Amino acid sequence: MTVSALTRPGERDRPIVKFSEIDWLFCFVLVLIAGAGALMMFSIAGSNWQPWAANHLIKFAIFFFLMVALAMVDLRVWFGLAYPIYGLGMILLLAVAVVGDVRLGARRWLDLGPLGSFQPSEVMKVGLVLALGRFYHGISADRARLSWWLLIPAAIIGAPVLLVAHQPDLGTAILLALTGLSVVVLAGLSWRIIAAGVAAVAIAAPPVVMFVLHDYQRERIFTFLTPEKDPSGSGYHILQSKIALGSGGLLGKGYGLGSQSQLNFLPEKQTDFIFATLAEEFGFVGCISVLFLYAAVIFMALRTASLAHSHFGRLSAAGVTATFAFYVLINGAMVMGLAPVVGVPMPLLSYGGTVMLTVMVGFGLVQAVRVHRYSEVTSGKGALL
Amino acid sequence: MSEPSIFFSEVNERQGVFHRRTFLFGGLAGAGMLALGGRLSYLQLLETSRYEKLAVSNQFNYRLVTPPRGVIVDRNGAVLATNRPNFRLMVAREDDTKPYETVKSLAQFVPLDEARQARLSRDLAHAPKRSPLSVMEDLTWEQFSAINVRAPELPGVTADMGEVRVYPHGGAFAHVIGYVAKVNRDDLTPTGPNAEPILLHPGFRIGRQGVEKAFDLDLRGRPGAQKVEVDAKGREVRQAPGGDIPATAGKEIQLTLDLDIQTRAMEVFGEESGAAVMMDCRNGDVLCMFSAPSFDANRFVRGLTGSEYRALSQYERKPLFNKALTATYPPGSTFKTMVALAALNAGIDPETTHVCNGAWAWGGRVWHCDRHHGVMNMHNAIVTSCDIFFYQTALAVGPDKIAEAARQFGLGQIFDLGIPGQKPGLVPDIAYKRRTFKKDPVWHPGETPSMGIGQGYTNVNALQLCVMVSRLANGSKALHPRLIRSIGGVQQPSGAAAQDLPFARAHIDFVRAAMASVTETGTAAATAQLGLGPIKMAGKTGTAQSHTYREGERTSRNLAWELKDHAWFVAFAPYDDPRYAISVLVEHGGFGAAAAAPRAREIMRVALLKDPELRSRIEHPTPLPEIPAETVAEGAAPEDPTPIAPDVLRPPVT
Repeated sequence: MTVSALTRPGERDRPIVKFSEIDWLFCFVLVLIAGAGALMMFSIAGSNWQPWAANHLIKFAIFFFLMVALAMVDLRVWFGLAYPIYGLGMILLLAVAVVGDVRLGARRWLDLGPLGSFQPSEVMKVGLVLALGRFYHGISADRARLSWWLLIPAAIIGAPVLLVAHQPDLGTAILLALTGLSVVVLAGLSWRIIAAGVAAVAIAAPPVVMFVLHDYQRERIFTFLTPEKDPSGSGYHILQSKIALGSGGLLGKGYGLGSQSQLNFLPEKQTDFIFATLAEEFGFVGCISVLFLYAAVIFMALRTASLAHSHFGRLSAAGVTATFAFYVLINGAMVMGLAPVVGVPMPLLSYGGTVMLTVMVGFGLVQAVRVHRYSEVTSGKGALL
Repeated sequence: MSEPSIFFSEVNERQGVFHRRTFLFGGLAGAGMLALGGRLSYLQLLETSRYEKLAVSNQFNYRLVTPPRGVIVDRNGAVLATNRPNFRLMVAREDDTKPYETVKSLAQFVPLDEARQARLSRDLAHAPKRSPLSVMEDLTWEQFSAINVRAPELPGVTADMGEVRVYPHGGAFAHVIGYVAKVNRDDLTPTGPNAEPILLHPGFRIGRQGVEKAFDLDLRGRPGAQKVEVDAKGREVRQAPGGDIPATAGKEIQLTLDLDIQTRAMEVFGEESGAAVMMDCRNGDVLCMFSAPSFDANRFVRGLTGSEYRALSQYERKPLFNKALTATYPPGSTFKTMVALAALNAGIDPETTHVCNGAWAWGGRVWHCDRHHGVMNMHNAIVTSCDIFFYQTALAVGPDKIAEAARQFGLGQIFDLGIPGQKPGLVPDIAYKRRTFKKDPVWHPGETPSMGIGQGYTNVNALQLCVMVSRLANGSKALHPRLIRSIGGVQQPSGAAAQDLPFARAHIDFVRAAMASVTETGTAAATAQLGLGPIKMAGKTGTAQSHTYREGERTSRNLAWELKDHAWFVAFAPYDDPRYAISVLVEHGGFGAAAAAPRAREIMRVALLKDPELRSRIEHPTPLPEIPAETVAEGAAPEDPTPIAPDVLRPPVT
């Protein structure tokens, strides 16, 4: 079919056309990252598919199909479901605050009986982006820049962030806040407010760190600066991670030969610190390659966002990309000893279904924006829901 | 819907803002990725060597390997203490160890009774992590292999091969060599050699007594190390190739003792309590040092049970006590050699005679002798061990001169043997009384006669008497005893490198001639005959009171064991060419001639027969120099062939 054929009304709604409009290079990069994760899991399990590598690949395959399926969902459906999803997320967050399971000292988990348990904060990662996108879709640039209307996005962001921080899950709360603020900034927030906000954070951070945070949270924050002070206690994670990275050198110790990860010196080696495992066995070259793949994902997704005709599409795709970028940057900084240990995994590379599900649903949204980049979205006439 | 809420221009403006900000955002994300890349290049390219070292120190540990303890051999190289392989079973607490279950499963492989199981689970629960506890030593091969096969299922359990100290000659050398035992808390010091980590190794043993204790640092050796790969919990994953540091065995220590002589000494004592010390009187080497009864040092290595220890420590004959060094007794008549020498040195004519009527009244007391010896000169008084003669001779010489002679011959002295435990005993003099007795700081004349027959305050140990007789036999040198011949091949100084004895050779020869007659015609004539043809032994008996006799009591023969006299015999042989000197003590043995002399004779025979030169003299006798006829005391030879020690000191008769 020719380009002109795509301009025919209704042509872009055909499933085969939609399918071909998905960014398959982008998908291939995702497969590469998930494959690298499985490769490392195979290695640290002692050349064994169990317990992680096979599971990781199966989950990725399922979520990959889910992503493709979501990419076919009309953007107007996403638009229509934006507030309901956000509302559902809030209800679940409230529920978890009341009846959630306490694990490792934090109330994060909601037991779904036979379906297992999950963290409602993950629903909110997509829900927040959708809600903000929908809100900004309906207001003018002036209002988005500086007006009393901005109290609404402040509330949309603030409510889930406070609930998640109360669980307490500092990592996710920060991630949600950063994602929400990114959307607000991308939507055109006044530079003066941004500057004022940055200044306020700079002033408020010390007292918050001193008086509001839990002891273990404060300990994590200070430890990353000098992990050598308490090498077997609070500094252990960072120190061992840095040893794994540093000892990898240029080309690494070789596949399956990383002493730090194989002998369990590296904690959380298959989840939060899998990047250190990769660094140890494949060295600088391996790390830079994986970082390049992540950068490619981020830039391809941002490009998809900027191609969209609808403001909702632009903002929600960019918001999801921001979440992903923050995951990568925070985890990378944590593993390399540049940030406190906050329990943020490396998306797709780390073992763990919840974050992978969130990320893949998010990318489903990104691809839906790409597939429906020419669609107009409205809450009034022509709305699908 | 009358008016659109967003105008076209605004849509364009929103899009423009979004594009600019997305561009910015992409730039920030790219900058973040670059920062990560920069951090990576710093860690992985610049700091690599530092982190590689840290990774290696994480990955590899050195496990200490106990060095083989130094071997102890006798003067001919016969092994007296060595090590044998030992399969042992150890268990350490891991993170996931369930003490009770672990011990229960061990009990399927090795016999552990209920009480031991309970104690072991309790110890295991309280032990520091990964510090192994010994469960059992000396596993059989079947037990050892069964446990090793199942070891992966038993967390913290290891069965390995170590070494255990073994003393092949049991009790013969127990007092001299001592034994080794497990290290206990009191052995550990914050600094010095006892601060080393090898002491905490469950296979390490520390010297507890004798040579094992005194030369512990020489015998220890240097621990080796085995390079092992460990995981984060410190568990050994596998042995790392290369990088092992071999252990250095401890130094070999050669003693001057002779296995055959020492073993014979153990045999001749039988059930009796006492000590025997033999020295080579040419160079001072101690050939035999035995204390009876003895104990099996191997049991101490394994660890004594409470009842075993009580049996040893409560036995009245004190097997744990080294009677050759630590126990002091009055020397009895053996001391008369010193009195005679002091008298000769003081210029008293040996032909001065005293008449012995069996009793002598002096100083308001009656002093007894065991028989009527008649007219005695010094020679005959030594041969027949006449007390009356020596009471008077001692008075004539005075205590200070006697003490001086005794000290010159080693009595009351401590020698540098290398092993601990010597008690000096006492050779009293006037200054001693002044120093010690604050209420009565005067030497009373009545104390001198007692000293003349080796009683009173005089106390010596068996080693000192052996040194005395060695110096008499040597005749010119004040020999020092030497017990340690070499340490790690380094010869120790000989005991012959000593000062000359400050006594005229003629005087020493006089005493020696009298001692020769003791075994020919004197008190020990019946019990000290070697039966080795031309080789003869010279000696002196002694019978020392262990308590003050009751009135009218003249002998301890019929008393309970612990009240009987101590029997002494000192001797050297061959008397015409002295080589070996011996002192034998039989604690509460009765008469020196009857209890001690035959034992001395038997031990001496072994030494003489082992000496190749003397052996050829025995097998191919050459004409002997005649014993001068005048040395035989005329009319002094006892009619009764049974020799009787005459040393009886009576309480004052008022």
